[in-house]
Amino acid sequence: MARVFVSSVIPAETAKVWDRVRDFNAMPKWHPRIRDSRIEDALPGDKIGCIRNFHLQNGDMIREKLLGLSDYDYFFTYSMLEGPMPLWDYMATLRLTPITDGGRTFAEWSAEFECDPTDESDLVNGIGTNVFMGGFDALKRHFGG
Amino acid sequence: MVQVIRSTVIAAPIEAVWDMVRDFNGHDRWHPAVATSVIERGHPSDKVGCVRRFRLADGAELREQLLTLSDAETAFCYCLLDTPIPLLNYVAHVRLTPVTDTDHTFWEWRCRFDTPKGREAELAAMVGENIYQAGFDAIRAHLNVEAA
Repeated sequence: MARVFVSSVIPAETAKVWDRVRDFNAMPKWHPRIRDSRIEDALPGDKIGCIRNFHLQNGDMIREKLLGLSDYDYFFTYSMLEGPMPLWDYMATLRLTPITDGGRTFAEWSAEFECDPTDESDLVNGIGTNVFMGGFDALKRHFGG
Repeated sequence: MVQVIRSTVIAAPIEAVWDMVRDFNGHDRWHPAVATSVIERGHPSDKVGCVRRFRLADGAELREQLLTLSDAETAFCYCLLDTPIPLLNYVAHVRLTPVTDTDHTFWEWRCRFDTPKGREAELAAMVGENIYQAGFDAIRAHLNVEAA
């Protein structure tokens, strides 16, 4: 099983960062690599089990299913149902934790998936850098870091 | 029941911070509030279940028991056995997590305890500031790093 783990410090209060990322359908607003997104079957974007159908800037389509969401522990977990990458059984969690010393936020994004061993390194680096760190860098810029 | 949570980022790699923090009997070397500390019965300080008996700078004597130690999760958990301050059923957790984009360390220290009515705010502040925040600052000074 391949694993990706990326973490960073966002210079803003956790409630504010959570506000920005909580909406499962709102990635085009905060993640530069996502062009557009919709929730299938007109379900609300925070309904556990809903599926987001979105496109990367290069036109690739990805479908992901919301599996868990917590406004108390500030995390959401989702699986990938369809996508252009050579992987399967992909599950990821984005989690925020307050840094009480300084009113900032510790952000973690992790994923596990299966793939061919020859693809693992590229996938881990690609997801870790472009998707996860790319997202955190955008949040840091947005909050003035 | 009172809960206290404090967290910080130490501008040092997790291996260095865990090395210092992991030793259940090492706190008298870095925590300003702790004068001396010894593990009872000559047990090693990383034996789950061992008890540290320590004296604070003000002379108070406390005993705490190591309940969990995990190098896999860079975390440990302990409880208070004897204390002159009314921190009852006190259980605390320390967890370190890497900040991968800077090779720094996120440190979360949390506890819960019961205490006589009316003393909640005072004791929560004492634990949060004099033990946890002071501990963060002490490790920073010991590792010679600036606030991250």
